[in-house]
Amino acid sequence: MLKYIHLTKLQWLGILKWSLYGLLTLAVLLLQTVLLSQLPVLGAKLAPLPALIVCVCVREGPEKGGVYAIAAALFWCLSGADFGNLSVAVIPIGAMLSAVLCRAVLTLRFLPTALCCLAVCLVNDSAIFVFKLILPPTVALDNYWRVLLPGVALSMAFVPVHYALVKLISRIGVRDAL
Amino acid sequence: MKKHLSAKTKWLIVIAVLLAGLVTVTAAMKTGGWGEQAVQSVLTPFRSAASALVRQVERYYDYIFKYESLQAENEALKAQIVAMEKDVRSADSLQRENERLHQLLGLSADHEDYQFASAYIISWVDSNWKSAFTIGKGTSSGIHEGLVAVTEYGQVVGLVTEAGTNWATITTVLDSALGISATVASTGYNGVVEGALATGSEGLLRMNYLPTDSVLRNNDQVLTTGSTVYPRGLIIGYITDANFDQTGVAKYALLRPAADLDDLEQVFIITEFNHS
Repeated sequence: MLKYIHLTKLQWLGILKWSLYGLLTLAVLLLQTVLLSQLPVLGAKLAPLPALIVCVCVREGPEKGGVYAIAAALFWCLSGADFGNLSVAVIPIGAMLSAVLCRAVLTLRFLPTALCCLAVCLVNDSAIFVFKLILPPTVALDNYWRVLLPGVALSMAFVPVHYALVKLISRIGVRDAL
Repeated sequence: MKKHLSAKTKWLIVIAVLLAGLVTVTAAMKTGGWGEQAVQSVLTPFRSAASALVRQVERYYDYIFKYESLQAENEALKAQIVAMEKDVRSADSLQRENERLHQLLGLSADHEDYQFASAYIISWVDSNWKSAFTIGKGTSSGIHEGLVAVTEYGQVVGLVTEAGTNWATITTVLDSALGISATVASTGYNGVVEGALATGSEGLLRMNYLPTDSVLRNNDQVLTTGSTVYPRGLIIGYITDANFDQTGVAKYALLRPAADLDDLEQVFIITEFNHS
């Protein structure tokens, strides 16, 4: 059946690249919900998925990366994430703005990407926390610096791995495109 | 930076906001569950496989690093069994007497009406502000919203709050979203047990609306009062502390959950019970 699908080599490589991004996203989601959610560190559950979404979006640009960020955030939300509806907007918008910022002002190197990941995760978690604080109040305020901030900071430990893997995957098809 | 935002990027931002709104509205209306059903159904086999792998790794880890402590524990348990067998012999006569009294009062044996469905936990919610997990069974196994999950010892774990064909989400007793009508076993005081997650008493439950003059002792058992959702007499937890609430009119008690939620692998869902 594949012989009837007329795609160029570059298009095939594009499909391979985005499939690998998809598999990486699935693997990180499973790591986050199956393993890390059972092993809190300093009382906080770690969430490496938002940082991965930002890494991919920064590397692939705000347009293609933005479509990926929306799809990945929606998938995470529908998989049962707490206040996932908020993340569907906050994470893709944050990731797209990060991609624009890195291209316009900063660079695509590790440090700017890591800073963008930190900023997006902090904004996303803080937004959820504010909602939990007021609608109706189900968390105590001191949890912000006792649980949320350490959780976000520790989740950044995954960024170097994300960055390396995303950089590796993003190279697929680059040589053929030139 | 504004000039670097292309028209396509702006459209994507609008789409993200609209999608978030759509998800919020469908979740609030409880009508658009098809998206979640589809994603959860696709994810369940992956989650089952991943959690089975994690369990296997844990077993090997325990075997390698906890072998000596398990051996010592085994010896201690053997000694305990010998002592308990002696107690059982003396308790047998008391039990027979007790059974006779039960028959005399016309009481049926406990929990004969329960129907169970067992399921393994395949993933936990990754939020710090919610305590819930997903099991690998759903409506196809007779599990639906509003059923109670317990341990093999009849300790309350939580309530099924969402269910799909091959998955179900159980919100645990630690979550502040649940409220269970409960009674202190030794004294009969009634109250409502709620989770105290992220409210300063992490890992504990809070029993509210207790009478001002109630006398509460540490380690007193707290049981379900019985309702259309929760069968009567399930163990919720043990009292660890008590105090007056903010109004100073009613008392509250802090409870240690009876079920060990940290080491939970498998739960039992009560699919049927006699409401009377």
